Amino acid sequence: MPNLKEIKRRIQSVKNTQQITKAMKLVAASKLRKAQLAILEARPYAIKMMDVLNHLAARCNSDLHPLLDEREGNRHLFLLITSDKGLCGGFNGSLIRKMAKHLKDNAQNENSLIVAGKKGNDIFRNRPVTITEEIIGWTKDFDYLKAQSIGENLTTLFSEKKVDKVFMVYNEFKSVMQQEVVVEQLLPVVPENLAHKDDTFAVDYIYEPDEESILDELLKRYMTVEVYRAFLESSASEHGARMTAMDSASRNAGEMIEGLTLTYNKARQAYITKELIEIVNGAEALKG
Amino acid sequence: MSQKLILSIVTPEKQLVAEEVDQVNAPGTEGDLGILYDHAPILTNLRSGQLSYEKDGETVALVVSGGYLEVTDNRVTVLAETGEFLHEIDRERAERAHADAEKLLLTDLSEEEFIETQKKLFRAVARLENLNNN
Repeated sequence: MPNLKEIKRRIQSVKNTQQITKAMKLVAASKLRKAQLAILEARPYAIKMMDVLNHLAARCNSDLHPLLDEREGNRHLFLLITSDKGLCGGFNGSLIRKMAKHLKDNAQNENSLIVAGKKGNDIFRNRPVTITEEIIGWTKDFDYLKAQSIGENLTTLFSEKKVDKVFMVYNEFKSVMQQEVVVEQLLPVVPENLAHKDDTFAVDYIYEPDEESILDELLKRYMTVEVYRAFLESSASEHGARMTAMDSASRNAGEMIEGLTLTYNKARQAYITKELIEIVNGAEALKG
Repeated sequence: MSQKLILSIVTPEKQLVAEEVDQVNAPGTEGDLGILYDHAPILTNLRSGQLSYEKDGETVALVVSGGYLEVTDNRVTVLAETGEFLHEIDRERAERAHADAEKLLLTDLSEEEFIETQKKLFRAVARLENLNNN
């Protein structure tokens, strides 16, 4: 017969866990609201920026600027954005799996990584891949300035020809329940409609001061904005993933408690029955 | 007769304006410009200063700093680094920023720091000027 005390102890322990997961879910929910707002408000800027850049690049010569320079070479740099904390379901898992697969599939290239977030660093530190930089603790206070310094760093690596291509790998925020791992090429910048140049437009377009200097500034800012957006996407995804994970953890704990309580009650009843039988038996024995 | 410009002003933090307006006045690096319906396509850098737009006879003013303005096909897109409506500006903060930047400029700075601080100063000046004028 299962030990009553033992079961009671287990119920209590599961209850404690459930309390923690419930609290974490609430915290994640409130952080998610903030992160979601941030990304939704940052998106229009990024999209408009891309529009302007596309317009401009479509009318300019692509070898006008070093950041548009499509060159041969297989030194690829990946900016991998993971989280610092765990307990967020498949958030880091799917990210790392995708990254590892990508590295394996493209093993002929000279791959290197910049890994943001403690979780990603823990994994890739022990793998045969070069990590050029570790960014740890970014989730606490990420702002536009940090994005700027990361963006500038990437730009320098690229324009000094230390790497030939730069990608970002991160979780894109689709909805609270849904995140999608994306691999996005950051450098060289590939404007969408570069293929079909719109010559009719170019005729009467006015540039102040002139197209080269505008393009230069625009590209620099574009880098910052893209990095900023990727980090915001990732942050919103993380909180979303954590909330969902904690929600299902709380639910699982609830089911477990139900099951254990049932066993406990059964055991208690069996115990009482057994005691009654003993008493009755004892009384019978005395009578006789 | 609907000859309106579609104006959208966005900053990295959020979208400030998305409206149909009659006229936009913006501070370009090469000089202020006024944009009316059927303006030629243009792309320009912006400096710190006042950007205003007119809608149904009413004028709304903002202080923006840095960024771009693009006009194509009667769509005006302003990508500003920062942007605030005039009535939202915190005078005390702007004054403090102004004083800080001035003090900093007198100290030894690297070229990059100097440019950064100068930008801050211009931003503060733009804010204060517009507060005083209105």
